[in-house]
Amino acid sequence: MDGAHGSPSRPGFAAWAVIMALAALAVWVLGVDYALAQAAFVATWAIAGLGVVLVVGQCGQVSLGQGALLGLGAYAQAVFALRGVPAQLSLPLAIALGAGGGWLASLPARRLGGLYFAMSTLAFALVVEEALVRWESLTRGAAGLAVPPLALGGWVAETPLAQALVACVALALAWLACRRWAASRLGRAWRAVREDEIAAAAAGIDVARAKTLAFVLGGGLSGLGGALYAHWIGFVSPEQFGLMLSFELLMLAFIGGARHLSGALWGALVVVALPQGVSLAVERLPPGLAGAAGIEMALFGAVLVILVLLRPGGLAGSR
Amino acid sequence: MTTVTLIQVFASGVATGCVYGLVALSFVLIYKATGAVSFMQGELLMLGAFVVLALHEAAGLPLGAAVTLGVAALAACGALLERTVLRRTLGPAHLTALLLTFGLGMVMRGTVGAVPAASHAMHRLPLPFAGASVRLGGATLAAEHLVVIAATALLAGALTLFFRRTRAGLALRACSENAGVAALMGVSVAGMHTLAWALGAGLAAVAGVLLAPVTFIHPNMGLVALKAFPAAVLGGMTSLPGALAGGVFIGVVEALAGLALPEGMKDVVPYLLMLAVLLLFPGGFAAGLRGRP
Repeated sequence: MDGAHGSPSRPGFAAWAVIMALAALAVWVLGVDYALAQAAFVATWAIAGLGVVLVVGQCGQVSLGQGALLGLGAYAQAVFALRGVPAQLSLPLAIALGAGGGWLASLPARRLGGLYFAMSTLAFALVVEEALVRWESLTRGAAGLAVPPLALGGWVAETPLAQALVACVALALAWLACRRWAASRLGRAWRAVREDEIAAAAAGIDVARAKTLAFVLGGGLSGLGGALYAHWIGFVSPEQFGLMLSFELLMLAFIGGARHLSGALWGALVVVALPQGVSLAVERLPPGLAGAAGIEMALFGAVLVILVLLRPGGLAGSR
Repeated sequence: MTTVTLIQVFASGVATGCVYGLVALSFVLIYKATGAVSFMQGELLMLGAFVVLALHEAAGLPLGAAVTLGVAALAACGALLERTVLRRTLGPAHLTALLLTFGLGMVMRGTVGAVPAASHAMHRLPLPFAGASVRLGGATLAAEHLVVIAATALLAGALTLFFRRTRAGLALRACSENAGVAALMGVSVAGMHTLAWALGAGLAAVAGVLLAPVTFIHPNMGLVALKAFPAAVLGGMTSLPGALAGGVFIGVVEALAGLALPEGMKDVVPYLLMLAVLLLFPGGFAAGLRGRP
């Protein structure tokens, strides 16, 4: 659903052809299991990206704390899974915790706007990260937690195929929900707030409520994304969910196109594929010439700069 | 906790706070003049420290020359970035400027991190006064801290003179207050934006050089800039003296929190303070000083 003008935006046939070709190439080059594991990551990042698209793209609020909400979901899932709580019970709890965190992070929006509010979400994210480090009895602090595989009743998602399946089903559900929200009265309220808060308020829209709901729903999606991510990666530690992740999610949404739901998927593809491509390329270089992590970061930054300059609407944008 | 300990902790807090304050100053300077939120001040700080280190260690320049040249190089780098890249995102689009500067910061951090010599070892800038200490009454103060404080005071004085006594400073202030009117008065707004970015990058580089004796020089040293945001918010986001004062305040509070509060609180206190200030005084403590850079 198009966020910008309310007209439907379907990724065109060409776009789908490109995705299919890339997927086929990935399977052919990397092997089926590896490609499926990466597909699980793409779908999971896309879920988290949808949360950012709701907050940033639809409602127009700059959130620098989305990574912390992902962390809340991931830690909730890890802690519950370690205590043997089945996923059908713990996933809703992780989503609820992410939504609750989103509600908390959105409280300053009642008084602050724009940059000041962005700063408050930054503070929120840093406080959450520190809390995850310090609450050692629950989170084991900086040492992190090992996360068992996802268990739904008797069925355990251990193979890459099962993980990709779960992630894609979750993404499909999240996508349908976002489509409904964006097309509803609430979605129109979000876009009105994004374009002009005063005009939106004058038109009878409860601006504070619209912002809060964007954060609650976006936070719930982040919680879901974080919970699935914890299972796929198998290990959570506080520094994974720091400020860098919040920015990575913003970048994901922006690279893909924050105003379109499909931007989350495009951005997730780039965010997952780029490091893989870079590490493949660096392996070809003589060893000791350059650090792979540094090149990866520099390339990410360059892609972001180029996209912001040349394609401000993102990959899914029409401009 | 004796008075002597308190004085020593206080001095180290002021010194760290001076670095926060300088970074916050550069951030606010750019924000006021161009409306752009710069998330790459930390990376400019890191780059400045590395450039000075490279000029001193690898090129063999004396320290004074290396610092002067390094800061000038960073100022030129800031001006160049403004001319080529940042100029295209003028205006109130916070998110665009934020992502653009963050991307540029990633490029800087990644590039420095990809150089094995820079990323595989911690570096220290060899200073003549490193490790020395001054006894004042009963308290022992580290020479590095005193030098940082003195250098910041000098820099603040020079900046005040620049803003009050020079035509360029006046033009920059006019541009920050009202770009449209400044343009009508014959001020080149685009030129002032370039100047603001050059000054901002140069200030960040100075902060990097001042931070170098306190911590090591490494690719992630730019993280210190995260403490500059609370400092800038405390100062009301638009006040230059407020930013500097906010930085010193954050530094002192952080040092005292490390002394008095349980471990870990030290790192959170600046952000809790920032949240409190944002909610209670949305205009910042220094709202009264607004408009007087």
